[in-house]
Amino acid sequence: MMHVPDDSDRVALNARDVRFDWSQLPVHWIPGEPFATHLLDVLHLLLPEGERWFVRLFSDVLPLVTDPRIAEDVRGFIGQEAMHASSHQSVLDHMAAKGVDTTPYVEQVEWVFRDALGDRDLTGDAARAWSIERAAVVAAVEHITAFLGQWILDARALDTAGTHPEMLDLLRWHGAEEVEHRAVAHDLYMHLDGRYLHRVRSLVLIAPILIRLWARGTAFLLSRDPQPSRPRWRDLRRAQRRGLAPGTFATVRALLAYLRPGYHPSQYGSTDAAVTYLASSPAARAAAARETG
Amino acid sequence: MTAAPGPPRPDRLLRTIARAAAGAAVVAARGGVRLPRPVDRDLKVVVAELTAEAPDAVGLRLARPDGAPLPPWRPGAHLDVLLPSGRLRQYSLCGDPADRTAYRVAVRRIDAGQGGSLEVHGLLPGTRLVVRGPRNAFPFVVAPAYLFLAGGIGITPIAPMVRAAAARGADWRLVHTGRDLASLPLSERLAGLDPARVIRRADDVHGGVPTAAELLADLPAGAAVYCCGPPAMIDAVRRAVPDGHGFHAERFSPPPVRGGRPFTVRLGHGGPVVEVPADRSALAAVRDVVPDLAYSCQQGFCGTCHVPLLAGATEQDTSAPGRMALCVARARDATPLVVDLGRHVEPCGGSTSPPSSHKVP
Repeated sequence: MMHVPDDSDRVALNARDVRFDWSQLPVHWIPGEPFATHLLDVLHLLLPEGERWFVRLFSDVLPLVTDPRIAEDVRGFIGQEAMHASSHQSVLDHMAAKGVDTTPYVEQVEWVFRDALGDRDLTGDAARAWSIERAAVVAAVEHITAFLGQWILDARALDTAGTHPEMLDLLRWHGAEEVEHRAVAHDLYMHLDGRYLHRVRSLVLIAPILIRLWARGTAFLLSRDPQPSRPRWRDLRRAQRRGLAPGTFATVRALLAYLRPGYHPSQYGSTDAAVTYLASSPAARAAAARETG
Repeated sequence: MTAAPGPPRPDRLLRTIARAAAGAAVVAARGGVRLPRPVDRDLKVVVAELTAEAPDAVGLRLARPDGAPLPPWRPGAHLDVLLPSGRLRQYSLCGDPADRTAYRVAVRRIDAGQGGSLEVHGLLPGTRLVVRGPRNAFPFVVAPAYLFLAGGIGITPIAPMVRAAAARGADWRLVHTGRDLASLPLSERLAGLDPARVIRRADDVHGGVPTAAELLADLPAGAAVYCCGPPAMIDAVRRAVPDGHGFHAERFSPPPVRGGRPFTVRLGHGGPVVEVPADRSALAAVRDVVPDLAYSCQQGFCGTCHVPLLAGATEQDTSAPGRMALCVARARDATPLVVDLGRHVEPCGGSTSPPSSHKVP
């Protein structure tokens, strides 16, 4: 390994026992912004299945890990991802209770993660190679989620737009934990394999899939809105201009950064910003109170 | 095993994804498998010096036998210390992060504890120890101002933070509380940084333990609150910190099992039987047989170690009906539990795992 970072800023990873109450959540939780609301609502449809896939996959590769520190990080990561999945699932359940049937889209997402990206009935070395390849895919996804996490921590426009505080706390708690654990999947992949080509081709595989699924999810939710509409590019550009969606340029730059041979997640995002948010997050504070007692 | 539902609407996008994933699996198999080499994270150190930090607190200076530099750390970090008896304890680093030649910890003697602190107090200079880490579950972040609250030996992770805040020129206050002035280690020296910023508050002078409101009385605007001390103190302060102030406390390992009864868990019908002692969780006992079993929070909520329960009844169980949270649930009666780990386990096992650790603040 050419690059041994000073890893003294690593933070011990622990899942937080967060709970959320959606009883007061309006349909458009960014007031007057149906497009931006549904663009971010896709997270609740896309993430639970994706994160459960992370948990299954990392539980399966854990026996291959021979570095106790990486094993410890992976265990912390698994618990955090499990809590992300169940928290987004709670929003999905709330939508269902409100009569928004998301199953046609969610079934497609399930199929992608359970079938296409599942175990594929492989055995022996082929199964192991596919598991490690998918660990590289998770590392690529985690690069994207760390970028989105840092974006949501910094997106002051969501505060000024009057975003529903419970939802903003869910998104920022999640974003902060993504930033906090952003190096785990990369470190795991570098430990298990580490080949550059395998690392970057995973991003080439997964990034278009995620972008297409996200676009489809946004269109799906807009069509199920009380005032149904179709997605338009100018709605996206407007949301981006107002700071309610990540910018195209910043997103492309972040994706390209992953291709750098000396890439390490610690070079992007701020652990301090994540820790600072978690110290004041209502959900994280209530979780800490629950855990002590 | 969940049956794959198949593409609900096998449209172009899903077919493309299926083809791409199938191709990736083939390409991955062609690339072959590399297996990682074992990594040894144990640090071998020697007790270089013992100092009396308070009548009941001893300070340890740990260095490598050859004097080589130790891994770097930041304020708030702690160390796993494997004591000669095999006990594993976690102690906060209380020295100077810039000093790479040694780690410093301070340990208060707890006569009614589980014996770890008594063992530390009995160590002699030159004793060889194995330590792991450092690890940071109490990260110190940049803030415009700080209020540090330490209870007794809880000063240990706070001390390096105070020095860092002072060096940074931040606005800071330290309140160190304890039974009497003699039970307040380290803070006398910290007061030397700026006596006006340090309050050493003894319960015997002030007529009892302080309330959270008293501790938070002198809270600078926008200050981050860093608190380490007895759980009751941390809890009271957490509840009282006003909005607009971050609250930071250390994330501790799950507490040891108390008041449990021994029981047995069978790993699948016809699988090996695991005896769970009164003071251990089923998860800890099962991991002796299946060391790479996945788990995470060890408090019952994350769901990673919730497994199907094939027979028997559980209590204190946070999992869904028909399942068992291995980390917290125990058998309700003498009937052995049978769980399904989703894999075949050879009925031998017998490997030993390190003893459970619990950090004493």
